Amino acid sequence: MIQEAVEIKALTKVFGQGENAVKAFGPSDLDINEGEFISLLGPSGCGKSTLLLMVAGLLESSSGSVKLKGTSVTGPRTDIGIMFQDNTLVPWRTVRGNIELQLELRGLNVDDYSERIDTLLQQVSLSEFSQNAPYELSGGMQQRAAFCQALIHEPDTLLLDEPLGKLDAMTREVIRRDLQTLWMQKKQTVMLVTHSIEEAVQLSNRVVVISPRPGVIDQIFEIDLPWPRDLEVKNSPAFSEYVMQIQRIFQNYGVL
Amino acid sequence: MITKAIAFVWNWIKQSWMFLCFFAGFFLFWQYSIDWFDIPRYILPKPTEIITKSSADLDKLLYYTWVTGSESVLGYVIAIIVAVPLGLAIAFSTILRRTIYPFFVSIEMIPKIAFAPLFISWLGFGLLPKVIIVFLVCFFPIVLNAILAFGSLGEELTRFCAATGASKKDAFFKVRLPAALPQCFVGFKYAAINATVGATIAEFIGSDQGLGFYIQIVTGNMRPDLAFAGIFFLTLLGLSLFGLVTLAERLLIPWHISQRRH
Repeated sequence: MIQEAVEIKALTKVFGQGENAVKAFGPSDLDINEGEFISLLGPSGCGKSTLLLMVAGLLESSSGSVKLKGTSVTGPRTDIGIMFQDNTLVPWRTVRGNIELQLELRGLNVDDYSERIDTLLQQVSLSEFSQNAPYELSGGMQQRAAFCQALIHEPDTLLLDEPLGKLDAMTREVIRRDLQTLWMQKKQTVMLVTHSIEEAVQLSNRVVVISPRPGVIDQIFEIDLPWPRDLEVKNSPAFSEYVMQIQRIFQNYGVL
Repeated sequence: MITKAIAFVWNWIKQSWMFLCFFAGFFLFWQYSIDWFDIPRYILPKPTEIITKSSADLDKLLYYTWVTGSESVLGYVIAIIVAVPLGLAIAFSTILRRTIYPFFVSIEMIPKIAFAPLFISWLGFGLLPKVIIVFLVCFFPIVLNAILAFGSLGEELTRFCAATGASKKDAFFKVRLPAALPQCFVGFKYAAINATVGATIAEFIGSDQGLGFYIQIVTGNMRPDLAFAGIFFLTLLGLSLFGLVTLAERLLIPWHISQRRH
């Protein structure tokens, strides 16, 4: 039997207390298999980022439980790779130095990972820029460097909070392809927060649709399309059918 | 080497000739307007007179610059040494943030220089009361900026550190401290300007040496030419202190947006 990488049970998050309490998420259940790519899709403010932070242990849940690889999440989990909409590259280090920062903060030996850094940088076409400061790179290049930073310690679970949110459409397309290639090689368990229906359908095994206020898991779509999901797959009628089905849900919510 | 130096100076002149012309024009106007408007010498001397007449006092001026400089630098450095760790403690301790922090904010409203006569009367004419007054005028901008600096690490970086399981020491030295430096320098620079002001006013109130003392004495003797010489050395002192802090900033945080040259 395949072990569940993530088990979410009756999870809720409420901000504030009493009359001022705001229900941010849940209650919802979700099981994610090992090596599965899941997208959390929903309009802004539906609590999808809140859900991700609770899985990472960076935000305490109000009730319910999260288990990551069989153990309950009670505090920040270190056995994951995490990325945010605003990247965590620091300006006083080079691109390479930023990737090494992940290792140093974990107390890992930087020299042991030297070759892996080279490989990762090459995979995202940043080899030439390893000694540049992050602010010397374009937004897309910065996010690719941030991918390397999030992946260098070889986590088998990746939590991505709208990592492509601030990029232009063309750059997003390229980075989605890179992300898919990286994932197909290692088959990490991925939870991706996004508000792009196309992005979700292209990258995921399953798309989890979260309704707006209250943010609860409403529907889950199995995306049965061949890998890799290149432009040809994206132009297929089956792909458009998935996108249209999900669009219809958002139309019913009144957000589209 | 020499050609490089010439090229550098030439470049500088080319870039700032407008400012240099304005500067020269300002002093020329000053020089000749004394005669044009028939201004008495005991009100305002000519720039050339300031230079020729004060040259006799040069040794004294240099020594007093050293005295005022020592007071300023000592008070300034002690303020940094005390204020930065204290700001760090306040940023991370809820108890301190609810007790000392509002206390500091309210003290910041008091013109610290008002304490100067008290310190002179308690501690006499020596170095100590001046250093304390400089410390007071430097301490608050540094500590308030340090609190802001250490308390405002971005949410993303805070979460990133937590998700790596980094030790407090590593998270501090590798992320929090460098991220806090730009805001700390805002306080350092503001305080650097305050330092010489504090020292000068402290000397006005009670002292037997220093540039503030000198300016007060010669003004009383109807010698504005010498007072202007004192002001010139005070300006030099303030500029040097500010220049050193700016240089330190450029060396320590060359990556910050305020320091980047493209």
